[in-house]
Amino acid sequence: MSQLKNLKKEWKAIMSCMGCGDCGYAIRPAVGRYLTCPVKEAMEEEGFEIYFSRGRMNVLKSILEGQIPLSKELAEWVYQCSECGNCTEVCHMSQNPYIVLPTCNWIDHVKVWEALRKDLIEAGFAPLDRHNDLIKYMNDDKKKNPYGEERNKKFEWIKEFPEIKDKGELMFFGGCTMPLRQVDTLRSMMKILRAANKEIAMTNEELCCGSIALRIGDEKSISAVIKQNIELFKEKGAKTLFTACAGCYRTWKKDYPELLGEELPFEVKHITEILIELLNNNQIPFKEIEQEDVKVTYHDPCHLGRHMNFYDIPREVISKIPGINLIEMKRTRNNAWCCGAGGGVKSQFPDLAIKISEERINEAIEAGALILTTSCPFCIGNLSDAYEKMDDSIKESIKVVDIIDLIASKL
Amino acid sequence: MSDIYHKLEKIVSDNYISKDIYVRHAYSRNVDVILQGIPDIVIRPRDAQEISEILKIANEENIAVIPRGAGICEFGGSKPIGNNGIVLDLKRMNNILNLDEENLIVTVEAGISWGKLNEYLCQFGLYTGCMGPGSGMSASIGGGISHHSVGGGGCAKYGACTNQLVSLEVVLPTGEIIETGSQANKYSKFPFNRFGNGPDFAGLFCGDNGIFGVKTKVSLQVFPKPKFAEYKTYLMPRKSAETAAQIMTDIRRCGIDVYDAMFIPDVVIAVGSQQGLFPLWDHIKKKRGIFFYTIEANSEIELLEKVKYLDEIISNTKSEYLGSEISDGNIAKWHYKEQGHWQFYHNLWGMFPSMQALSAECFCPINSFPKILRDIDQWDVEHNEDMQKIFNITKIRPISGSGPVALIDGNNVEITSGFVTFWGYYDNEFHKIIEETNLKLWKSLLERVIKHGTQWYMMGEFLSRFMVDIGAYSEEFYNLMKSIKKNLDPNMILSRGKFNFWGEK
Amino acid sequence: MSELYQKLERIVSEKRISDNIYVRHAYSRNVSSNLQGVPDLVIRPSSAEEISEILKIANEENVSVIPRGGGDCEFGGSKPIGDTGIVLDTKSMNNILNLDEENLIVTVEAGISWGKLNEYLYHYGLYTGCLGPGSGMTSSIGGGISHHSVGGGGCAKYGACTNQLVSLEVVLPTGEIINTGSQANKHSKHPFNRFGNGPDLSSLFCGDNGIFGVKTKVSLQVFPKPEFASYKTFLMPRKSLEISAQIMNEIRQKGIDVYDTMYFMDLVVSLGIEYGMFPMWEHLKRKRGIIFYTIEANSEVELAVKVKQLDNIILNKKAEEFGPEISDGNIAKWHYVEQGHWLIAHNLWGLIPGFDPVDAECKVPINAYPKIMRDLDQWDLEHSEDMQKILEITGMRPVTGSGPIIMVKNNNVELTCGFSSFTSYYNGEKHTIIEEINIKLWKSLLERLVKHGVMFYMQGDILSRLMVDIDGYQKEYYELMKAIKKTIDPKQILSRGKYNFWGNNTDN
Repeated sequence: MSQLKNLKKEWKAIMSCMGCGDCGYAIRPAVGRYLTCPVKEAMEEEGFEIYFSRGRMNVLKSILEGQIPLSKELAEWVYQCSECGNCTEVCHMSQNPYIVLPTCNWIDHVKVWEALRKDLIEAGFAPLDRHNDLIKYMNDDKKKNPYGEERNKKFEWIKEFPEIKDKGELMFFGGCTMPLRQVDTLRSMMKILRAANKEIAMTNEELCCGSIALRIGDEKSISAVIKQNIELFKEKGAKTLFTACAGCYRTWKKDYPELLGEELPFEVKHITEILIELLNNNQIPFKEIEQEDVKVTYHDPCHLGRHMNFYDIPREVISKIPGINLIEMKRTRNNAWCCGAGGGVKSQFPDLAIKISEERINEAIEAGALILTTSCPFCIGNLSDAYEKMDDSIKESIKVVDIIDLIASKL
Repeated sequence: MSDIYHKLEKIVSDNYISKDIYVRHAYSRNVDVILQGIPDIVIRPRDAQEISEILKIANEENIAVIPRGAGICEFGGSKPIGNNGIVLDLKRMNNILNLDEENLIVTVEAGISWGKLNEYLCQFGLYTGCMGPGSGMSASIGGGISHHSVGGGGCAKYGACTNQLVSLEVVLPTGEIIETGSQANKYSKFPFNRFGNGPDFAGLFCGDNGIFGVKTKVSLQVFPKPKFAEYKTYLMPRKSAETAAQIMTDIRRCGIDVYDAMFIPDVVIAVGSQQGLFPLWDHIKKKRGIFFYTIEANSEIELLEKVKYLDEIISNTKSEYLGSEISDGNIAKWHYKEQGHWQFYHNLWGMFPSMQALSAECFCPINSFPKILRDIDQWDVEHNEDMQKIFNITKIRPISGSGPVALIDGNNVEITSGFVTFWGYYDNEFHKIIEETNLKLWKSLLERVIKHGTQWYMMGEFLSRFMVDIGAYSEEFYNLMKSIKKNLDPNMILSRGKFNFWGEK
Repeated sequence: MSELYQKLERIVSEKRISDNIYVRHAYSRNVSSNLQGVPDLVIRPSSAEEISEILKIANEENVSVIPRGGGDCEFGGSKPIGDTGIVLDTKSMNNILNLDEENLIVTVEAGISWGKLNEYLYHYGLYTGCLGPGSGMTSSIGGGISHHSVGGGGCAKYGACTNQLVSLEVVLPTGEIINTGSQANKHSKHPFNRFGNGPDLSSLFCGDNGIFGVKTKVSLQVFPKPEFASYKTFLMPRKSLEISAQIMNEIRQKGIDVYDTMYFMDLVVSLGIEYGMFPMWEHLKRKRGIIFYTIEANSEVELAVKVKQLDNIILNKKAEEFGPEISDGNIAKWHYVEQGHWLIAHNLWGLIPGFDPVDAECKVPINAYPKIMRDLDQWDLEHSEDMQKILEITGMRPVTGSGPIIMVKNNNVELTCGFSSFTSYYNGEKHTIIEEINIKLWKSLLERLVKHGVMFYMQGDILSRLMVDIDGYQKEYYELMKAIKKTIDPKQILSRGKYNFWGNNTDN
């Protein structure tokens, strides 16, 4: 079974699962936990065990024991998962530092799913068709981004801001999604940085961070990218690299060092870390606000929140915006509900991704918020897509806005 | 028959079997003025083995067998249906077999009375919690389990007596002897828990009205009797039933573990006072309904707290507290301290000579009882003509209504509804018209109350058949009961006729 | 199979039925990797009527049907016995149908979890009293009734969850749908009481482990959640096992309505601390057993009195009280306030990777458990040779003992005993020898306990059959169970195989 090379490395996790099912059903209001798996909840009609972690672990036990094989059919099942990590967050987690239930030491569900995906790709049962397209585009020298756009299109927006240097100590990593799909938000970011007189640099030689390949499980496609990207910025003299994309942030800060086996030669920050500095030094000039405080709620992106333990800074940022009253949804921080876009779900299973986002939007409305904000272009994209399809009555109750746009609108 | 008689005599010895006509008539009635069934033979067995052999013979010879505890069924449940069969008088089996003081479980022979058992337990500072049915001085433990008995005190806190059941030894109609619960594991030396080792078969014999088996041993959970108790009685304001219902609902809502809570309707107070039943209330001008509670606690402080809560709830109504002594009107004190709880229900019987009750006792939710009581009043008015027929002979009109309404499990009460009427034999003559009218009225009242969706527990002969006859049972439930009955008792000899299970007659 | 599939698909719609191999494997195990049964079909019905139709067809075709709630049976109870049959996944029937706030009765579909139900009730200031089994976040109300579940909190005060049962809607194996208790009277609109209208037939379906019917609706008594509670943890003195039993007995003798009382053995505490499970107890010099209690009350005054009564009992035995915060070591607080009660039973699983519980949970009288636990130590020694074999492969010897010992109503405890062993797949290979030894040891342990006269409640596949195989049942009792089973389920299709009720199918 050399086919199961990666999965076999995760045998401890799989064999530590004893099938309690909390990964599907956990409810502990006392610690803010209300259900676990966004895919399972979205698929409630079909709702078979295989739609959430426990059922999949059972399948993997059978696979390790040689009872059933890997197959494309299996791939169709397992890629319906955003790898949000909520299952890991719940699995035997006491959510209190003074009690450590042993099993949680051995099971990182997402690592298991990642290992499985790698094996599926090696065996040729994956990538699935749309994922295949994404990887192709990424590897294509003329494109080098998962959106299939022409390579240089990513950098066109920079021309509007001649003050952006080509190299420097504080460098911005644009990524692919924002320049190609949410470029207005980048303009907002520049508006803020201009108003704060903050100088940044950016290079049009940057490559897609490769997050897509990682989530899909295509190790080969990403290995080349990592070294090139790191060398590039090192050579440009970067001391700090920051990005406005939660996916790129996590990939740079967590995945690159892990895959490389060594520390990066510069630090990596998220846009909110830059913003909080500016806010703390009163460098952002807000206009006078006359109206009442607007209720805003913050959605923790999985790549920022659960994956990077990054919860407080975005909230501090929002709190410092005048005229804003920050409230929390029922499921927040490490218990936050995924928007459904990650793990390749958005591209291969768009209906599923939207259904999951609908639930999150409803949750925001239930909390009483007028604005649902977050700091991740995938979340914004998916939430917005879901938003467009919802009733007018919903659209009148709430808006979906990126933190950056929120700040920019108050200048 | 004499051949059979000899076979049976060999089992129990001649001291404990009789076919004497006077003995047989002594066993031919229960507690009601209408129903009678004269058995052919009366037997007083000693233990499960003897009962097992008796039942085997009864099966061979296709003879009906009626188990009888104290014979206090208000629906003719422990006498034969028709003049035939064997009555098994279980009162001889009335010993206490074991008191496990550490695990607080007592094992008794099923024929022992609640009164005798509690007297014994008292010496150890224990009690059964729920004191059985209102007839507990005589009624047997086995009978209590067979009917989910309530009414004898403590049911607001402990619920029906079946809640305290730990284990049963039962003789099945075909003679097998089984033990339930923890005893299903044959290595368990003594009963300690009801719930496990498979399905809860003890439940089959709870409330079965004696159709599925004859109980021979019962193990009950017992409890330390709390050292402190308080008991208060109140005169209700107008709309007494609604007020009492509200008080009971509030008590449940606040989670106060009251031991007893009872409401005595206006009519009982009014008529009873008139007849001199209640000297303790003679000084009360407005004869309205009475409400009382009893609460227990492990310490004075806890007691005071609980009493405080209860008083708060009651003070929200316009009720009047009646003082602490029985002479002040505090019937609650008589009920608890002087064990009046085992005589409480005798309040309307015998208001006039030979006046007795035809019962329609049932369970219903607290918030339904005022409505049901009013409807019974309505029913009474509608049947005035029939009531008159009896009045014409006895010069006293039957009274409809309810005796005490007692809080039991959860948010339910037992309403001791019915009407009091007269024996057919009145003033040295047998009046067929009285008996016929009684029967007609009884069926009419039962049907009326059944249609309120109430739940019946002591069903005996009369009610168990009536419910089937008027199609009140959900078909599926009745069919399941029937198929289990057929399975356990193929010849349908045990309590033959109840629920219309006749077998080959 | 395909004609059968089509017939069934027409009942539930194509989204709710599957014969996909991965889906089937996803349902092939419960909690314990060593028991597996791969069904032929998985169906997710949405109503009693659908289940009725399915069972009728199953009877026609003589196909076995296993009802499944949360799938948390530790004895393989909600998977087929053998690779066959239909699994009925009832988890999509998880709605709350009615909350009668005045009569404090809630009616739910049987697939709803204890966690979801209590979350809902919380908004009304109510709770179910007993919070179900230790797996209550996932396990279903229906499953709780089928097994007299305890362990999830509140059982010292409220007993097993079956004590709170008011009424059931059950689909019999032949398809009839019945309602028990007050609902047996056609004219009753809502369930309000269990006891009456004839024999308590609902009890047939309590603890039946799913052999007599499929529960579809459950009505439970609910209670106002008391405003005040106190929770304290104590370090035990020497002979903690015997003394903990004395403490529990005294609490009962004094009639104190404690909500929870639990005892952790010395072994669990010391092993747990060693493996980093209990950071809050790391400072302890003497790693002995722990006992904790939780008590509720309607007022501060009552609470203070009860606490004093309890503390007197415990401190008189020379136990030492921990401070009030979780960081002081007060696990009782985590258990009650942070709803740790739905996780606490996971304490020994996963001590090292692949460490799997092989469970033998049972109920016993309080005064019996010290002796039984000592006998288990003895049993462990007697089986050292087998334990060694597993050590040789995995580097760790299985651990025999008990997790928390939990007081349930009256004078009993739930003894969560067993041994922790390994899954047979270890470090890249399937070691059949581990599986064989596990099963052998499991049966030996269970037989040992049966002979102590304990009472089992969750019996599933392996235990229900073992008790019959070793002739542990009183003969008449087993015959009665068989007779009723034959009456209710003539072809023995429901949970076929449990208690060795196979019907004409002699698959094993």
